[in-house]
Amino acid sequence: MSRIIRPQSTAELLKQLARESEDLSANDRRDFLRRGITAVGALAATSVAGGALAESAGSTNLPPNEPSWSRQLGHGVVEHPYGSPSRFEKNVVRRTVPWLTAESISSISMTPLAELKGIITPNGLVFERYHAGVPVINPEEHRLILHGLVERPLIFTMDDLMRFPSVSEIKFLECPANGGMEWKGAQMEALQFTHGMLSCCEWTGVPLKVLLEEAGVKPEGKWILAEGADGAHMSRSIPLEKALDDTLVVYAQNGERLRPEQGYPLRLFNPGWEGNTSIKWLRRLEVGDQPWYHREETSKYTDLLASGKARKFSFVQETNSVITYPCPEKPVKHSGYIEIEGLAWSGRGRIKQVDVSFDGGVNWVPARLKGLVLPKALTRFSVDAQWHGQPWLLQARAIDETGYVQPTLKQLRAARGSNSIYHKNSIHTWKVAANGEVTNVQIT
Amino acid sequence: MFRLPDHSWRPLIAGLLLTTGVQALAEPLGIGQAASADEIAGWDIDVRPDGLGLPPGEGSVMDGEMLYESRCASCHGTFGEGVGRWPVLSGGFDTLTHERPTKTVGSYWPYASTLWDYIHRAMPFTAPRSLSADETYAISAYVLYLNDIVDDEFVLTQDNLASIEMPNQDGFFLDDRPDSPNMRCMKDCANPEQLEMVGTIGGITPVGHFKQGADAPAASHEAQKALEEQKERERLHSLGIEVEAPHERADSELSASALAGREVYEAACVACHGSGLAGAPKLGDQADWSPRLAKGMDTLLKHAIEGFTGTKGVMPPKGGRVDLSDEQIMHAVAFMTEKSR
Repeated sequence: MSRIIRPQSTAELLKQLARESEDLSANDRRDFLRRGITAVGALAATSVAGGALAESAGSTNLPPNEPSWSRQLGHGVVEHPYGSPSRFEKNVVRRTVPWLTAESISSISMTPLAELKGIITPNGLVFERYHAGVPVINPEEHRLILHGLVERPLIFTMDDLMRFPSVSEIKFLECPANGGMEWKGAQMEALQFTHGMLSCCEWTGVPLKVLLEEAGVKPEGKWILAEGADGAHMSRSIPLEKALDDTLVVYAQNGERLRPEQGYPLRLFNPGWEGNTSIKWLRRLEVGDQPWYHREETSKYTDLLASGKARKFSFVQETNSVITYPCPEKPVKHSGYIEIEGLAWSGRGRIKQVDVSFDGGVNWVPARLKGLVLPKALTRFSVDAQWHGQPWLLQARAIDETGYVQPTLKQLRAARGSNSIYHKNSIHTWKVAANGEVTNVQIT
Repeated sequence: MFRLPDHSWRPLIAGLLLTTGVQALAEPLGIGQAASADEIAGWDIDVRPDGLGLPPGEGSVMDGEMLYESRCASCHGTFGEGVGRWPVLSGGFDTLTHERPTKTVGSYWPYASTLWDYIHRAMPFTAPRSLSADETYAISAYVLYLNDIVDDEFVLTQDNLASIEMPNQDGFFLDDRPDSPNMRCMKDCANPEQLEMVGTIGGITPVGHFKQGADAPAASHEAQKALEEQKERERLHSLGIEVEAPHERADSELSASALAGREVYEAACVACHGSGLAGAPKLGDQADWSPRLAKGMDTLLKHAIEGFTGTKGVMPPKGGRVDLSDEQIMHAVAFMTEKSR
């Protein structure tokens, strides 16, 4: 696993890019993009586009013919009482990298970000992370116990929990190991594997604050232990300030009850924080006066730095972004206009700005934010460009409302070394070749 | 249509709303039941570094060694070295600054309580919450011994656990991010001459779904194992040793008992017998199963129920799932053997 392709210097390519862009005045930026930097490779690009057209040539379903599906009836209502995507979309699925883990029961899968539109992740595509597999829980027999340093220890049924006033909030969910395979070098040949431990849903449930008020937290209560009903009895210590701020106890996602993979019938949800703190299959909340230092906040989910010391309780998922088109799964197939798209997110609040670079971070242009721009949610951005086969080193750089600017890989490695595993949120680079193929590279 | 006759009704209407159900929040809503001490006690399993939550009990390194061999070694290795990709438990001292650190109980974990808590809540992997308090003390003691933290005479108890000093207990500090400041720069932000590009390692990402002819690894854990086994058969073939590829029998060929055993297999046996982990005979692998079958079904069942240590590995009693009945085990054994004939 440790074969690293040694640096193939980009100085020449970048020098060319820089030379071309120096000829442009600052307000010529759009023109620079429109012209592209060089015409090299335009022929190759044209042939890719031509190939796509040739593929469907000879089909009798194309105009002027009446296609086969327009000359017959389709299936009726409730043929599929719970619908599923078109069979032509069978490639749009979660995937795993088997060698990362010993067993699929304690493992992770990734969301196919390249295939998704907007900011909502469909429930069947939300990435999975299990420590002991998915328990099959009968909601009628599920209970949440809230105890410890409280005035009134309480036990809730699902019915009880759904009687509380509810809220619905669109928030991202991200594993802190997202991108973690890339600390030492570029390893993953697809967006799904570089950034796919990331999803965004509308979550519905009760603010934890409401439950805590119901039980009455004693003054010495400072931390909360959240525990799951899975075989791992997955547990994390959560500071009371977070619980009183925006933590939710969630029973629905994107309009329907939680999927088993997401904690059915009940999960904790800590907006903006590393996913493992959002304990799934939630069965117990205990208020205490100090953290518990359980396995998932000592042995795992602590960030080892080059000094040999490790950061603990590193909860926040810092500002991050990635270009989702083009990407390895979605190469550039046409010369001419291209809308470069991506996702940005911050665990500290709203995304304020995203910039895009075509030359590996030497020069940048502002992107526009599209659709909803919500705190601690995925935010979609795009940039209009022209591509005529010129090589690109595409990067996105996000800035959140606190002013935090997403760091470069070099800055992150300088601060932490390369054994942190978690919280790698550095600027990511896609290399777009003259034939439109996109590969994962690292620029330092 | 209902109409208010005049404004004088309004205060009355407002008063009615209050008495008919508008709830002033921040008051308790009275939802949920009081949790009884019994209900809490059954689930309140957490343990803290100061020992809070530890039940009475004790366990010695010696007792722990036997338990560890039967419950833990098949994944974590006899000396805590880890089998395959399962976690390494011991050693790795002074490697935290190395290029490839080995983070173990001894080299990394800050508190002994974490070990006790985790074993008690989640281990053995295939049978969580099956260990008694004393067994947990004993196994914890043995893992501490494997890391040279206690000696071989040591007995771990409710009273002494919190006083154990772990080598890396001062190795952690509170989150102090942001730690890697960047600035928003729009033009000439880097010197292209000094930038270096590193390409992706080829062939270790499952990209077969979009890259034709890619030298891609398997896309699932099952396929990955099948691939590794196929390579092993090819290696043996080159040495002149022929091994039959595993092939499971169809369900239509199974007895009622075997079919009844599928559910137990999937809940309790698959983690080891699905993968051949640590010498477990793998489902559908005739070469693996035939010497076991030759001993006769009675012996096989006895080993499954009572546990067995063979030359290839360890079968814990009922695979660690002592909550299962003998009958359930019998069905699971029927399922595995019939699938693998």
